[in-house]
Amino acid sequence: MTETTIPRGNTLPRIRPWLGIAAAASFVVASVMALFWAPTDAVQGDVYRILYVHVPLAWLAYLAFVIVFLASVGWLWTKRPFFDAVAVASAEIGVLFTGLFLVAGSIWAKPTWGVWWTWEPRLVTTAIMFVMYVGYLLLRGLSTDFSRRATRAAAFGIIAVIDVPIVHLSVLWANSLHQLPTVLRAAGSPALDSSMLLTLMVSLFAYTLIYTYFMTSRVSLERARQGRLWTRI
Amino acid sequence: MLERIGARRVLLIAALAVAVFVGTVAATNLASSSVYYLTPTEAKDRGVNPGQAVRLGGQVKQGSLECCFMYAGDGVRFVMTDGVNDVLVIANGTIPGLLREGAGAVVEGTFIADGTFRATQVIAKHDEVYTAPKAGATPAHRTAP
Repeated sequence: MTETTIPRGNTLPRIRPWLGIAAAASFVVASVMALFWAPTDAVQGDVYRILYVHVPLAWLAYLAFVIVFLASVGWLWTKRPFFDAVAVASAEIGVLFTGLFLVAGSIWAKPTWGVWWTWEPRLVTTAIMFVMYVGYLLLRGLSTDFSRRATRAAAFGIIAVIDVPIVHLSVLWANSLHQLPTVLRAAGSPALDSSMLLTLMVSLFAYTLIYTYFMTSRVSLERARQGRLWTRI
Repeated sequence: MLERIGARRVLLIAALAVAVFVGTVAATNLASSSVYYLTPTEAKDRGVNPGQAVRLGGQVKQGSLECCFMYAGDGVRFVMTDGVNDVLVIANGTIPGLLREGAGAVVEGTFIADGTFRATQVIAKHDEVYTAPKAGATPAHRTAP
């Protein structure tokens, strides 16, 4: 076996470049659809197009933190280092996506609401979520002992996920400013035109591929740091 | 060894249950105790004093929005309603383009002695419905308040 040979059963390094290409291509398609193909909005005009960045990033951030939770449970349950690698990878990407959707939301808020930021329930709970997962990453830096670090981080990763449903449901609280969910509504079909919904779904697909690509890369890196192969649990 | 793992898993499930319970209680309390704005009725009931900084939220009453009446030419005046009580709001400075009659708004400022609200910041609320403009209709964002 030469050094460049990928071990049998470890197919991920082979498909990862293709995953990257698919992510980049679908991102280009989604961007073109969002900027040119989707119609303008009757109330907000073109500024509503930030939705095609803001919403998928927010959903992927939720997903990332739920995966941190699941991987944290996995680590505590089995003590397999693979789960710790997944947790740290997903937390880092979740923090990145949360930061980006906060910035995108702020850019959207200024021309529509009239302010960059206000202490409104959705914004407050999201800021708490961002700070908690930055804290999660800082906590991981406190200990160099692998097992201790993974256990502490897992405990934090399990508790912090509570804020995810709170963020999602905060718009339903009385006297808030942020608009209600458009797609994940309690009643009725999504409250946007079908061409807008299709654009949103293509964007969601693109960002999901980006998340997956980042995850495979980051988990591989973490597994290499652990001195283990990707596939070996 | 097996017993120790079993105990750890029981502890894990217990910790999860406690975390979910604490989270639910915290969220419910936060939702009921923290208020982003008061409606005109709530402001009246709580007896908000003149000069006290407060956020007021409601709907811009149909036919009440007037613009550019101040010397600087950038002020707006409108009636904010929650369907029960009305408050006259006077605001200047940057007015968001989405402020329009029948839509929601939040204003930050203080009541003055005669019950009028002096807003230092106007925030426009928009809903979660997105749709292409109908043929021939002027998009709302292009109409002057």
